[in-house]
Amino acid sequence: MTHFTIGRRSAIAAGVGAAGLLAADPARAFERDGNRKIMVFAGGQPVPVLDPHVRYDWSTRMIQQSVYDALAKYVNDPPQIVPWLAERWETNADQTVWTFHLVGNAKFHNGDPLDAEAVRYSFERGLRLNKGVAWMLKDVLAPEAIQALDVRTVRFTLTRPMPSFLTFIPLWFIVNPKQVQANVANNDWGEAWLTTNAAGSGPFRLRRFEPQSIIHLDAVADYWKGWPQGEQRRLSGFIYRIVREPAARRALLQRGEADMITEIPADDFEQLKTARGIRPADHRGMTTFAITMNTTKGPTADINVRKAIAHAFDYDALIQIHNGAATLMTSPFPEAIPGHVQVPGMPRRDLDRARQFLAQSRFASGGFELEYVHVQGLEDPRRIGLTLLNSLQPLNIRVNIVAQPWPTMVSRGSRAETAPDMVSVYVTPVSTDPDVIAGKYHTRAHGNFWGMHHLTDQQVNAWVDAARVETDEAKRNQLYADIQRRVVDLQPEVFGMLANRRWLMRDHVRGFAYCPLRLTGEIDVHPMWIDAA
Amino acid sequence: MILFVLKRVALTGLMLFGLVCITFTVSNVAPSDPAALAAGPDATRDMVETIRREYGLDRPLPEQFVRYLGGLLQGDLGRSIVTTRPVTQDLARYFPATLELVLLSMTLGVLVGVPMGMVSAVLKNRAPDHATRFVAVSLVALPAFWFGILLQLLFSVQLEWLPTSGRLEVATPPPPPLTGMLLFDSLASGQWATFGDALSHAVLPALVLSFPCLASILRVNRAEMIEVLGSDYVTAARAHGISRLRVVCVLALRNAMLPTLAIIGLRWGWMLGSTVLVETVFDWPGIGLYAVSSAIAGDFKPVMGVTLLIGLNFMIANLIVDILYGVLDPRLRTAP
Repeated sequence: MTHFTIGRRSAIAAGVGAAGLLAADPARAFERDGNRKIMVFAGGQPVPVLDPHVRYDWSTRMIQQSVYDALAKYVNDPPQIVPWLAERWETNADQTVWTFHLVGNAKFHNGDPLDAEAVRYSFERGLRLNKGVAWMLKDVLAPEAIQALDVRTVRFTLTRPMPSFLTFIPLWFIVNPKQVQANVANNDWGEAWLTTNAAGSGPFRLRRFEPQSIIHLDAVADYWKGWPQGEQRRLSGFIYRIVREPAARRALLQRGEADMITEIPADDFEQLKTARGIRPADHRGMTTFAITMNTTKGPTADINVRKAIAHAFDYDALIQIHNGAATLMTSPFPEAIPGHVQVPGMPRRDLDRARQFLAQSRFASGGFELEYVHVQGLEDPRRIGLTLLNSLQPLNIRVNIVAQPWPTMVSRGSRAETAPDMVSVYVTPVSTDPDVIAGKYHTRAHGNFWGMHHLTDQQVNAWVDAARVETDEAKRNQLYADIQRRVVDLQPEVFGMLANRRWLMRDHVRGFAYCPLRLTGEIDVHPMWIDAA
Repeated sequence: MILFVLKRVALTGLMLFGLVCITFTVSNVAPSDPAALAAGPDATRDMVETIRREYGLDRPLPEQFVRYLGGLLQGDLGRSIVTTRPVTQDLARYFPATLELVLLSMTLGVLVGVPMGMVSAVLKNRAPDHATRFVAVSLVALPAFWFGILLQLLFSVQLEWLPTSGRLEVATPPPPPLTGMLLFDSLASGQWATFGDALSHAVLPALVLSFPCLASILRVNRAEMIEVLGSDYVTAARAHGISRLRVVCVLALRNAMLPTLAIIGLRWGWMLGSTVLVETVFDWPGIGLYAVSSAIAGDFKPVMGVTLLIGLNFMIANLIVDILYGVLDPRLRTAP
């Protein structure tokens, strides 16, 4: 899971934004490289570290996915795992041994063949570094348990059954061992070098890496996997331009300095989506928004207070804040996660029920104040805080809205004693494995930002632990259905909504394919092209 | 004169030590866990501990401070937990961009502010003076963040005269690195197109950054010029038949420049600090942007590095001003 970030919204830009529409059809167009085109994509998040085994977030993973390949890849909506470097795979009955058979023509950018040893080395490197992606497999996979059986076959032997193993495979990218080993310093597994350099086999190679401003990639002409749009139409290159202010990103798109932008404020999106020369992409996301409540101290430790809050909250306002581009949650799980069930009795605004719950609590007449914390600079959670304030007034509950920097908020929330009464939390699952969401409500989640509720429920713990290793899909889904119902019943959060993922692009951009498993603003550049003379 | 300079240098060293103490304390009282943030939201506890050990964050605070001081003496500002690179390397990468912006803004501020101050003083209480003072007050009062976005919308979106942000067009390769300042490097390598490209990108951020500086210089210079123009030696000079232009531009200006120099010194440090806002609006990849990104991520070694760099610049600028004061006014050399 990862934190969902959106760019800071500028009140000034909103005020004068309408004026900018007049210039929506620019004289400028895409960047060119001879007869081919370079696509420029603007987002607000830098890419400080390129190493695929050390860091990932949406912008970093977008570049990593472009420069590196993995054994499998996430595509489509709903998300599917398709073969990539591995042409096929198989597992044993209890899913502890996984064998991957590699394609025969994959090669790194420097021409070295990509073989089973490169795969083995890459997974060992990820585990030994114990950073970034390591958490996904470190509990079940020892470096010694990865074997290159022959040039094209690699085997993973897990210490226990792990049905979700395959869902993490697309997130482990393969590096060229020769290049990495040639750049090792102080036994660092080449970490310092791979921070700003690449040793991949992906559709693009690194040309220029300015972590705070521009990452420029060149397309690999003879990419081993080929180009789905055809050799004639493929891009010459891809430029990720880091532009922090939403107003500036908007201006870039309007001027044609960028072909595509992300992290767009709702009002800007509405204004620009019908502008001449601009096309929107608006898809249901997998990022959940919830108001997490501290279940260990203060009034919110009382389950009836939590239920009263959940029934008093104005859910329609959540949708309005996003100009309709959001869907209310019907379960703690996003709908695209396997095992999702629509939980009966999901709280909706019902003031009578809210008052009944409050009457059953130790605070029957209200009269207390709750702190609601949101990330400083983010407009939507602030507006949601105002909605919460209005919603709880009829219950005689006051809300103190506090904006704090992300590090401060996370630090406070890591301990039950300091965690705020209520806090806005966005969570994006990194894989389709239900465990990544169910684990939010396990005691193990305490200390992480999504565990700021500090819920402890032995039943939920037992079900989450059991589901993790259950290889029978029907039994597993039943466990997850039970978890969803139980979590709703415990009400550690006001279950909010799934905001849409949105991009704006010039109308010459083609090949955009949405996959909800990508993180927030991330796009898959490989199939994209620019259709213009 | 040597004693005078040595005293000032010693004082600068003391101030720098004070700054190190303050920045270290402030950074470490902030309630955040940089190791946990760097490890990522999904990291397990032992992954966080791996990072904590790697960056020495598991050591007691006094030990961390002593190690930091030891590193400072060797020019080591520690490692950024976000970029994973030494802070000195990051500063070397980003500081030239900031320096370029500040030099350009300062040049603008001086070249426009000083003559406008002179004109305003000579035409005291007449229409040009009133207009100049109005402009000066307005420029000081304008919030850089707001004004920057406004200029972007006007000159980039509406008129399409200037680029929105960045230092170069995305597909333009930067000139061979010599100083890291694109304007200088492109000139040095004779790449005129790149120079024009870099200049067009620098115009808006440099303007926004220069305005408060320009206004301060203008106001101080005007006030000093008015005082100097009313003094006896100016009257005497005029009585001796020295031209009005020479009296204003040479005799009066030389004396009026003393406080203006002080303002320039102060503004130098102030402008380095102000780049935080301007660089964010214009995505100018300098130390201001680096500091903001680091602070948001709870990565305090870079924030401390940037603070020390700005503080050092501020102190050096003031040291130079002190020395220039001494050169221009010998009485100050013996002052206590």
